[in-house]
Amino acid sequence: MEQPVTAAIIEDHPVVTEGVESWIRSDPGQRVRLVQMARDLAGLRAVPSADVVILDLELSGELVTTQIPGLVAAGYRVVAFSGHSDPAIVMETLDHGAHAYVSKEEGRDHLVEAVLAAAADRPYVTRSQARAILADQRPARPALSQQERQALLLWFQGMSKASVARRMSISENTVRQYISRARAKYAATGRTAPSKDALLARAIEDGVITPGEVTPYDSLARTAADPPSLGTPGR
Amino acid sequence: MTAVQPTVLMSGRYQRAFTIAVVFLVAGWHLAGAGGQLLHNRSAYGSFAFQGAMWLVMALAITAGTVLVLRGTPGWRAAWAVAVIVLAASIAAAAASPAGQMLAVNWGWGSAGWTGVLVLLRRRFVELACFLAAEALGILGVQVWDGLHRADLAGFLALLAWSTGAQVAVAAGVRALDVAAGQAAAAARSEHAARERAATAEIIRAARHVRWLALQESAVPLVAELATGTADPADAQVRTRCAIQAARLRRLLAEGDEVPGSLVHELHASADMAERRGVAVEIETAGLLPQVPGPARRVITDTAIAILTAARSRARITLAAVAAGIAVSFVADTGAVVRLPVTGEGVAIEQQQDGGMLWAEARWNSR
Repeated sequence: MEQPVTAAIIEDHPVVTEGVESWIRSDPGQRVRLVQMARDLAGLRAVPSADVVILDLELSGELVTTQIPGLVAAGYRVVAFSGHSDPAIVMETLDHGAHAYVSKEEGRDHLVEAVLAAAADRPYVTRSQARAILADQRPARPALSQQERQALLLWFQGMSKASVARRMSISENTVRQYISRARAKYAATGRTAPSKDALLARAIEDGVITPGEVTPYDSLARTAADPPSLGTPGR
Repeated sequence: MTAVQPTVLMSGRYQRAFTIAVVFLVAGWHLAGAGGQLLHNRSAYGSFAFQGAMWLVMALAITAGTVLVLRGTPGWRAAWAVAVIVLAASIAAAAASPAGQMLAVNWGWGSAGWTGVLVLLRRRFVELACFLAAEALGILGVQVWDGLHRADLAGFLALLAWSTGAQVAVAAGVRALDVAAGQAAAAARSEHAARERAATAEIIRAARHVRWLALQESAVPLVAELATGTADPADAQVRTRCAIQAARLRRLLAEGDEVPGSLVHELHASADMAERRGVAVEIETAGLLPQVPGPARRVITDTAIAILTAARSRARITLAAVAAGIAVSFVADTGAVVRLPVTGEGVAIEQQQDGGMLWAEARWNSR
């Protein structure tokens, strides 16, 4: 059996931590193991103690999105877990280098999957992320194709990926590909972060996106030539 | 719906009044001015019958033009058909007038010019200018054909200045009045919109207060039961109660300044009814939503009510800004296909059933 992905949770409300624990416990494959629980960022070790950090964006009443680059630089993969669903906060979180954004309403259905995807440097797009991408009007936003936009819209609307596939008369795999490609395009824009490079490199490796479809920026060349050295997870 | 109608009506009413004034001007001119001149000079023409026939042709063209402009701004084909007929009739009448006396006995130039003003009034100004120039050139052509003297040219220029000048002035005046009426209507519209926004805000505030009071009776006891352990989260019924209260709380939080549109407000109202039946409803928006006109909103909310009534335990409503409009979608466990309102008012409705889940989308396009 494969080694489970290790996760740490930074959350100041014990009841939420317990909820996350129960979701992780009830995963049939036991694919994630919670190795650390902390109430603030000071509780995390400088050397990554877990593959993924589940980070509540609001700790003791303060937004901690600006702390994400520090965590990412230390080698952590971050999955933001938050009660906020404001598209601007979602975008800022991703821009700072978080792998995925899971709103508290989506936690039960998506948190474990998002953690697993993050550990593998693969894109995971929740409905709240799709919403933020659809609402994005910033001049520097990446250009999405008609199909990518349509897949994101139907996913945001609440359809299952199988239903989206039926609606668009394409395979479920192609739906995943469209949504992942849209996410990968975001990894190629904005500020640079090792986690974004890793996500992009993995997307290219998986054939989700070709280097030609990516708006290049400085660190991309480095990433493509030299695969990320951040501890490759066991899966 | 009320935001648009009165002001459009108001601006439309003024424009119609200006149109009718021009109709009276043209009809009066043709009957009294041109008709009077025709009768006064009847002995001067080679064939009075021909002149009379041309006068009648122009009278019919003016009648047709009147019908056209009273039905709205005429299309270029219809407008120019009338214009060309009066142009031809007036020049034929001028050509059949005795040489040397043409300007003195000419009755058609003025009528033709005014008819042009009537049918081309609300089309591009350059069209009216072309028409008036063509008419003047036609008359000048007849004059040249008859043999042009210096005195004739002076008379031609004087007539040109007086009749064409008056026609251009009237056309420009009506345009200015149109613009003024449009501005007045826009001012009234923004005032109306502000009033409606204020009224909507008040309704939302009142509804929120009512909901807050309701929370005191529903959510607060549930939380108390959970805290004391009398309610067990393992119980499916307790979980359903939690889901409903959570949906209500979320909505209470969402109803901030970010949802100014009355469509969102109306959908919230529709969701209320379903929630009382125990259906957990979530409503989310993506992007800056456009204002949807009343009749289209009604089609969308009817769709919402049909689906929410059929939903068994949960429903998700999303509103997303899409190119040129809005996509309002519904995902609910209806168990079967729902009979939805017919597509109309610019709203296209589609649905897809997958297992027990229904997806439906009402898409409104502004164009």
